[in-house]
Amino acid sequence: MNKYDAVVIGAGNGGLVAAIRLLQGGARVLVVEKHNLPGGFATSFRRGRFEFEASLHELNDFGTKDNSGDVRTLFDSLGVTDKIDWTDIPDAYRVIAKEEKIDALMPFGVKEFTDKMESYVPGSRPSMEKFFLLCKEIHAAQAYTNSVNGKSDKKVMLDKYSNFVRVGSYSVNEVLKALRMPKKAMDILNAYWCYLGAHCDDLSFIHYASMVYRYLTKGATMPKMRSHEISLALAERIRELGGDIWFNTEAVKLLTSDTDGGIEGVVLNDGKIIETRHVVANCSPHIVYGKMMKNVPESVVRATNARKFAGRGYTMFLGLNKSAAELGIENHNYFLYDTMDSVKQYEAMKRIDTNRVQATVCLNNAYPECSPEGTCMMYFTTLYTSNDWAKVKPEDYVRTKEYVASEMIKRFEEDTGSKIRDSIEEISIATPMTYARYCGHPEGGIYGYESQYWDGLTPRLMMMDEDYRTRGLRFAGGFSMRLSGYSSAYFSGDISGRQTVGDIRKEG
Amino acid sequence: MAYRFKKQIFGFLDLIRFSKVVDVRRAKLAEGSAAPLPNDYRVNLTARILHPGNRKAVLTDIIKESADTKTYVFDLGVKMLFRAGQYVTLSAKVGDSYVSRPYAVSSSPYTALKEGKVALTVKKAGYFSDWLFDNAEIGAEFAVNGPSGYFHYESLKDRPLIVGIAGGSAITPFYSMAQALAEGSEDFRLVLFYGARTAEDILFKDKLDALTSDKFKVVYVLSDEENTAYEHGFVTADLIRKYVDEEFTAMMCGPDAMYSFLVKELATLGVSGKFVKKEANGAGVRDVKPAVYKLTVHIRDEVYEIPANAEETLLVAMERAGLHIPAMCRAGGCGYCHSKLVKGKFSIAGDDKRRLADAKFSYIHPCCSYPDSDIELIVPPQNVK
Repeated sequence: MNKYDAVVIGAGNGGLVAAIRLLQGGARVLVVEKHNLPGGFATSFRRGRFEFEASLHELNDFGTKDNSGDVRTLFDSLGVTDKIDWTDIPDAYRVIAKEEKIDALMPFGVKEFTDKMESYVPGSRPSMEKFFLLCKEIHAAQAYTNSVNGKSDKKVMLDKYSNFVRVGSYSVNEVLKALRMPKKAMDILNAYWCYLGAHCDDLSFIHYASMVYRYLTKGATMPKMRSHEISLALAERIRELGGDIWFNTEAVKLLTSDTDGGIEGVVLNDGKIIETRHVVANCSPHIVYGKMMKNVPESVVRATNARKFAGRGYTMFLGLNKSAAELGIENHNYFLYDTMDSVKQYEAMKRIDTNRVQATVCLNNAYPECSPEGTCMMYFTTLYTSNDWAKVKPEDYVRTKEYVASEMIKRFEEDTGSKIRDSIEEISIATPMTYARYCGHPEGGIYGYESQYWDGLTPRLMMMDEDYRTRGLRFAGGFSMRLSGYSSAYFSGDISGRQTVGDIRKEG
Repeated sequence: MAYRFKKQIFGFLDLIRFSKVVDVRRAKLAEGSAAPLPNDYRVNLTARILHPGNRKAVLTDIIKESADTKTYVFDLGVKMLFRAGQYVTLSAKVGDSYVSRPYAVSSSPYTALKEGKVALTVKKAGYFSDWLFDNAEIGAEFAVNGPSGYFHYESLKDRPLIVGIAGGSAITPFYSMAQALAEGSEDFRLVLFYGARTAEDILFKDKLDALTSDKFKVVYVLSDEENTAYEHGFVTADLIRKYVDEEFTAMMCGPDAMYSFLVKELATLGVSGKFVKKEANGAGVRDVKPAVYKLTVHIRDEVYEIPANAEETLLVAMERAGLHIPAMCRAGGCGYCHSKLVKGKFSIAGDDKRRLADAKFSYIHPCCSYPDSDIELIVPPQNVK
């Protein structure tokens, strides 16, 4: 019986959550995943005596039982929170920037963060306080918008959340300058920008402020058994609710109706046809419209071509045969920049030979038991803001990836003073080719479509109805309305899953 | 009064600006090119050369290397680039069973990149290798999956000098490395100690000798034959010292007994921990009281009930029953056969190499798991491109 109410294509963070939402809404659901594991980038892998986290630096917006963030609230309602053992991240971040000679360790907590900023940048307090007032109002406005399923009342927005509307069209830098924030405070505050992958002249203030506020008010969290634990917990829940998950199963075509162009079925890699009128695609519209569908309307082709791929990923994983303390690695997560001028930095990140940015984690400093006693493990991530890896020929591939890895080690050693090179017991490197291989994303991107000024969080959310262009086809994951990142991908699955439940109900 | 943000001189201009964000995006989307969306991407194309996956491959040549060993050359139909020392998984339908085995590639990386061909050199020593030796014919269709494995040079971890130690037919990854050093696809120095029983058992002797250079040296060590042209006995610390007088990383490929002996020998030279790398060996038959359990296997929407012998792994039980399921390393390490245990008891051969959460949520690697009761498993299907 190859007929389902809905098929979820891709068991990434968005797809897994969408499937649970569909099942909770009473739908019969099949999840197809081309890899043999759930999670997409949310996974782990073993090498020697280490189990490396594949991608998660820290889970945003989770919080604690008493101070629950939106992700925890979502996980509670999915029924997965208690299937996972959680551990807290100690500090927000340490940012080191060469040009500005910044080395700042920032704590969680709005008050703690503001106080620490004042100690680094005397006189920054008034602007920081205003920044957090804006954050708070943005957060409240988002809660309101969610509570009405995105259909916010203009009058309510203007009456109760007018600052949301007032800052809503501006970039991070435009707003911070208007707040007269001292430059050094802006530099320190903007450290998280690489998590969103667009520079601060382009990145929407609302998006950035919302993320920073969630980190600082809810802290950050990690599943002890790496993100693989979350992915398996979600898969477990899908099976508990009666859903089917087929691994090693790739959806290759979407069948559409001749009359309304809407979804009628999914063709799998072995030719098997699954009848369905609803698909949640946890993959890129570029792949769905470019390879999986026939007769795609011109407006859809134009809308897809208009978008810009965001950062292509590169991560080096190191298992070290000494403890973090022995190696002098003091912190959990580091942002190492050449400059805090994010426009300039974004330019340098276009090329393999000039990109020296890294967001680096030593998991042992959050969860000491994550590797055997006397060892520690680290992962170093960067993004490429252009398609430079496309120029790397197969025969130059290993040399290139090892060159980048070596430069990353050098930079970390220079900036922090700890020496790690001689202690490498295990090394693994993921490049854009690796990400392309596992998740099939174009150009090995890990951040979906870039949060350009016109394609940021707010307009995407406001245009959700309009972006639903093919009957029965909704998207989840980093390419969709909530943009990239773990929490965003989970929320996108929540939204698309619930919307699809609504679509199914409307059909009766 | 509550704080009110203002960017422009007149605050209402900020409001008007916001009211246009949808119009701006709508216009931008409509301005996109009407040209067809890309069908492929260069990075993704390169990714497929580095990891072609499981593909049909045609046997194009068979070369007899010794009385019990042949080299089989496969045309993959696509380019592939692997690291010298890596393995591929060869599979074929033998009778009613799909059988697969991991073999280190014995040809060079650039041969695979330029000609789409890989050579596997296999000694007749078990079910599948016997079948290959006696039955494989030129033109026959197989599947080749890979490349896989980490038994290769790692410039940021290893010392620039590698001491390779090969036991018998496990010479294959090192033969690939020697060719790689000559063609320039790898860059390190290799001193290879090649242990064989007799001179007749040495594979690729002329070819290895011809490949020697400032980057590659080979020392033959015969265990069962006294011959003044060769070293005699086993590879020991003393023997290594005779040829190598600098720091090195050791890479070993051979039987487990050879590893336990050499780990101790190498320790006396101060070579241990991260500087000793060994290729894993597959799980074999275990010594328990014979028993046959019922194994229920779910593959997508199909269910099979098959017997499983207590002495053999769950993977072997499924292969015997003719199920086409994923398998690569057969040593519990690669995770390719990752399957969900619905119920039943099992034992793992050797170290538990699963991820922590796999154990927590009852996922197992059938290639190294033996049944201790009736078992029910959810197993993914195997695909061949």
